[in-house]
Amino acid sequence: MLTSQNGAAIVTQPMLVFFLLLFTYPLWADAVGLYNYLGVEIAIFVLYALGYNLLFGYAGLPSFGHGAFLGVGAYSYGLWQLGAYPHVFAGLLVAVLSAAAAAAGVVALFLSHRRGIYFALMTIAFGQIFWFLAIRLRWLTGGEDGMLNILRPKLDLGIATLNLSSNAVLHYLIAVILAAVILILWRIVHSPFGTALQAIRMNEMRARFAGYRVWLIKWTVFTLSGAIAGLAGAFLAMTQESAYPDVMSLHASGFVVMMTLIGGGFVSFWGPVVGAIVFILARDVLGAATETWLLWYGLLFMAVMVVEPEGVVGVWRRIEARIKRPASTPEQAKREVVL
Amino acid sequence: MDFLQNLLPHLLNGLALGLLFALIALGFTLIVSVMEVINLAHGSFFALGAYVAMVIINPGLAGGGGLGDAYMTLPLGARYVIALVLAPLLIAVIGFGLELLLRRTYGKKKEYGLLLTFGAALVLEETIRLIWGPAEQIMPTPPAISGAFIAGDMIYSIYRVYAMLAGAFAIFMVWLFLEKTPYGAIIKAGAHDSEMVRALGINLPRLQMLVFGLGAALAALAGIILTPIWGLRPHVGVDATIPAFLIIVLGGIGSFRGAVLGGILVGLAVGLTGAYASDWSLLSMYLLLIAVLTFRGRGLFGKKTALEA
Repeated sequence: MLTSQNGAAIVTQPMLVFFLLLFTYPLWADAVGLYNYLGVEIAIFVLYALGYNLLFGYAGLPSFGHGAFLGVGAYSYGLWQLGAYPHVFAGLLVAVLSAAAAAAGVVALFLSHRRGIYFALMTIAFGQIFWFLAIRLRWLTGGEDGMLNILRPKLDLGIATLNLSSNAVLHYLIAVILAAVILILWRIVHSPFGTALQAIRMNEMRARFAGYRVWLIKWTVFTLSGAIAGLAGAFLAMTQESAYPDVMSLHASGFVVMMTLIGGGFVSFWGPVVGAIVFILARDVLGAATETWLLWYGLLFMAVMVVEPEGVVGVWRRIEARIKRPASTPEQAKREVVL
Repeated sequence: MDFLQNLLPHLLNGLALGLLFALIALGFTLIVSVMEVINLAHGSFFALGAYVAMVIINPGLAGGGGLGDAYMTLPLGARYVIALVLAPLLIAVIGFGLELLLRRTYGKKKEYGLLLTFGAALVLEETIRLIWGPAEQIMPTPPAISGAFIAGDMIYSIYRVYAMLAGAFAIFMVWLFLEKTPYGAIIKAGAHDSEMVRALGINLPRLQMLVFGLGAALAALAGIILTPIWGLRPHVGVDATIPAFLIIVLGGIGSFRGAVLGGILVGLAVGLTGAYASDWSLLSMYLLLIAVLTFRGRGLFGKKTALEA
């Protein structure tokens, strides 16, 4: 495999499998009873959850108001498309930048010096502020009715013009960007910066004494994670052709934490991917079967937390370990520490 | 003078709201201090307490004959008092149950406990929706505390005065319990260093269970008193949880004074801004929080604790 300087693979087998599934999805979705819109949604939430896990799983910083950045991304994409200069990439860029600005300039400034429970509670408070503003700034966001009629523009690539009103075409656009983000994130978590993140998760105090500028690293990772949430938000607005304050509520912000944990974000890079897929599929299946899917969902989630809080990947690891017993060679032990 | 007179009812509204916020926050802070868990189901206890009380007051037993009829002939006031005592106790039992599940996450990552309560919050809210429907319900109140009275030029709701007094009384009782009884001393010690408490031969798991139940009961009590003012709908729990979070951070985690003072400050901020810009009144508590935290990172009375590690 292709490897980078410090020995971590640039492309890995799970990555190839995921890309294969991602890019062929529109070809086999109908055959197994799924549909293109669902694939788009899954891709968006995989993007969101992966960005979230950089903060949550790697740096160990629990944010319970992350929906704020998803929302900021969605609204700023919408505003851009409705007003200034309707162009897909410009809109995406604006969304990423404004979500990053909201994260970096407002929230992370207050949070980068906070730890533990204060950090968690303050993310809730900030998340609520953004949600509240989204509802009250009616002239800007459309209030509780949402921002409507954000049309999917045509994307002119020079050689071809993509018609994004088709869900399959939209799926490919999002898939390409998601693949790029995955490659970038994989590099980030295996870079010295990624190692510093894990040092902070394991013991913040010790990381500081080791010479890391902890607050700056926390500020950076929060901003990065917020920017990715903003990108996901822009895609969400593009897909739904509208933007709503719901995605910023405490519940919605809790869902991304659920996705990340159900999959096993603490133990694997791929945890949030598995989690987002399970979450959206389960929502669809349960939602079709019963109106009170949230009840069952909550119960399922409680069971996961009580029985196996390391999620799907945690279970997988345990099965794997049982199959290839005498497990812990030094090489493996090392891998386990660095996810 | 006119200005002050117009302001007075809003001040009182804010004070009543603040005392009840403080009551919610107190239960929350007790749970955080002893178990180091952010209980996201706290608002669900608040809502569920109110719904259960509504059923106890008006169970619809009339015509069933026997005991049911006898119960319904009790005056509304008596049934209200029964509900005020019984509903928080029932919610405490549910709290015990949740704590038993929560126990499995102790000693693991802090987030697991928090997320377990998030799941519980979803389950409780959906259960409420399933049983009582999504529509707004009316919480019956006895005639003695309904209506309005006139003092000077001001007409004011009797219920809000009652809410204020009940809130203050409940806070006082919690204070008495924590400061003047041996149980309170154990709880405070448990919040300070639970390992040491266990080493002294005190049954720590039972203490944790009781504290969780007490916190849940306080939330339920606040729910019963506050929902005639706010209205009773399944989502009301979230409306109550958010101020509780803010108050805890504002006052300093684990501080009794902080929770009470923070509650009153938030209540007054919401009440007073409600007088001038009611659409924006909720924003005032967020701004208050940011203002305080800019100058005091751990809130008004917060101390450095293990909760930050």
